[in-house]
Amino acid sequence: MTTTIEKPTEKVAERAPLLSVAGLTKNYVIGDLVTPVLKGIDFDIYPGEFVAMLGPSGSGKSTLLSILGTLLKPTAGHFFMLGNDLTEADERELTKFRNRNIGFVFQYHHLLPDFTALENVMFPAVASKLMDDVEAEVRATMLLNRVGLGHRLNYRATKLSGGQKQRVALARALMNNPALVLADEPTGNLDRESAHQVMELLAEINAESGTTFLISTHDPEIAKRCQRKITIIDGKVDSIETNPTVKQDVAAA
Amino acid sequence: MRYEAKVALRYLLSSKMQTALLIGGVGVGVLVFCFMSALINGLASYQIEQTVGSIPHITIEPREQTPKVLGGTDGTLILPAILRDNTQRSQIRAWQTVLDTVLADDNVRLAVPVVAGNGFITRGQAVQPVSITGVNPEQLSEVAAIGPAIIKGTTDLDLNGIIIGSRLARNLSIDVGQTLVIRSDRGGQRDVKVRGIFSIGVESLDERVAYMNFKAAKALLNLDNGISRIEIKLKDLDVAPALSASFAVSTGLKVTSWVEKNKRLFDAIQGQGSTGSLIKFFSIVTIIIGVSSALLLTTVRRKSEIGIMRSMGMTKGFINRVFVIQGVLIGLLGAAVGSSGAFAFTTLVMQLAVRADGSRVFPIDPSQGAYVAGIMLATVASTVAAILPARAASRVDPLEAISQ
Ligand SMILES: Nc1ncnc2c1ncn2[C@@H]1O[C@H](COP(=O)(O)OP(=O)(O)OP(=O)(O)O)[C@@H](O)[C@H]1O
Ligand SMILES: [Mg+2]
Repeated sequence: MTTTIEKPTEKVAERAPLLSVAGLTKNYVIGDLVTPVLKGIDFDIYPGEFVAMLGPSGSGKSTLLSILGTLLKPTAGHFFMLGNDLTEADERELTKFRNRNIGFVFQYHHLLPDFTALENVMFPAVASKLMDDVEAEVRATMLLNRVGLGHRLNYRATKLSGGQKQRVALARALMNNPALVLADEPTGNLDRESAHQVMELLAEINAESGTTFLISTHDPEIAKRCQRKITIIDGKVDSIETNPTVKQDVAAA
Repeated sequence: MRYEAKVALRYLLSSKMQTALLIGGVGVGVLVFCFMSALINGLASYQIEQTVGSIPHITIEPREQTPKVLGGTDGTLILPAILRDNTQRSQIRAWQTVLDTVLADDNVRLAVPVVAGNGFITRGQAVQPVSITGVNPEQLSEVAAIGPAIIKGTTDLDLNGIIIGSRLARNLSIDVGQTLVIRSDRGGQRDVKVRGIFSIGVESLDERVAYMNFKAAKALLNLDNGISRIEIKLKDLDVAPALSASFAVSTGLKVTSWVEKNKRLFDAIQGQGSTGSLIKFFSIVTIIIGVSSALLLTTVRRKSEIGIMRSMGMTKGFINRVFVIQGVLIGLLGAAVGSSGAFAFTTLVMQLAVRADGSRVFPIDPSQGAYVAGIMLATVASTVAAILPARAASRVDPLEAISQ
């Protein structure tokens, strides 16, 4: 059964960037050793975009996604999301912001092993009291149906296959209807078949719901499906390319 | 709070073995706590009961004669000296009034007038010194617990009756029903018949003590107008010190509570109590260490889950509560297991550890197990033990946990 996630129309209508990165730098400091990893990053991402982030290993992609996901503080520079300067926000505000506006998909699924697929997906909404149980269950069921796991709702997370786990993780990332989903090599741990499935889902959900995706990847197949490709080399933006083969229905670039 | 509790419960249920061991550990701590309480409190009650059963709770006696200051005839020489009036036995004179005052108090169960003095028993050539106690026959059992100690005869104290100890009887080769002559140090003399012979097991008592009828002893000891003391038994032992102070004021006599007369017993009970407290203290410390280290291990094991929860926007407070609730649940369950185990165990010990004659080997009292204190302390201890792991968990860096 396929369910379509309805479009949040206000996000599509917006012309201003959803995410604006300006002069972002990051140095890792270990003892006396200062390692500059991000050396001044600037780009904008618009609502509804499907963006790939490419770059060789060690170029700083994961570091950048962690900063944009408010899990890591930048050394200098700013980034703005939904009109907020998130480099200025405190821990409490960031925690709440993450819950409401950012969805994460990591290379590893990080599901809670003692909870069912349904409970894992409901978690971000019910644990933060964003939704009541009934509302959350309806939405989580819909999302699991959408990722093709309607028949595994009450399976323990540990009883699912690798690809299934990653699809549950994707449904969980979408649970609170985030403005932006950050995915760090979401297919990196999967076999070709599962990777393809997940990839299809990401693109379809973006097209259906207008949820904005920023996906770091080494996978050329993913890159092909994206509207834009941001290439990071040695901590700097090397190029930003628009993919002419993908329909540019929402991107402003 | 509800969802934190759900996560906490899942965590506990997910590692059933560890959880069972933890609950068992807390349970053993509570069991030790309650068992020690039952033993120490039971022992104290037993000792007090043993002591208080045979002694007055409050004793009223004549005032001791105090030093009098003698002025010299010329008004300059001052010579302090104790003048003892040896011609007069010290006695409570208006004793009926004192008795009425005392009996009017609601706390008093019983007040027994007693006369006491020294004398000799002669039989043929043999002379034995005795200490004479005179009481009303129906109140004898209140003054001396000799009823169960009677080995021959009865405790009936008619005007011509006397009850003596077994050693005295042997020294004088005398038996129940025989007559002897008793003389007081005041010169009184009376023929009395032996009604009963007791053996308390204390040499000096079995050799020296004799009980007589109140009226007969009063006449024998030349105490026509007074008595030697009033022995009081109370309904509630605890009021003895306060009540004796109040009687001292209202009667103007020397009033002593059993507490003052048994300081050593109290010191001993207190000593037992401190030993017990120490053991109980360590049982609680053990709970804290055990629960704390187990939960710390859990935080390490669950690090990546904690990280993902934080990245999904769960607050530090949320993570904190997940672990504190685990501590509370372990504490409550452990306390329930431990306290019911302690009750069952102490009851079993009480029933099994009985000598052939029905007396108990351990004066353990299952009803004095301090269960409420044990349950509360264990729950609090287990909760406190969870604070450190909970803080550690809430401080997990989500990024570090996710990228590992
Ligand atoms: N916590 C850290 N402390 C110190 N240096 C770090 C830390 N995390 C990453 N680095 C360094 O920063 C650089 C960028 O790492 P990052 O993980 O962002 O790269 P990446 O582009 O995601 O690489 P990959 O494609 O292999 O995942 C690397 O040289 C790495 O060694
Ligand atoms: Mg990376």
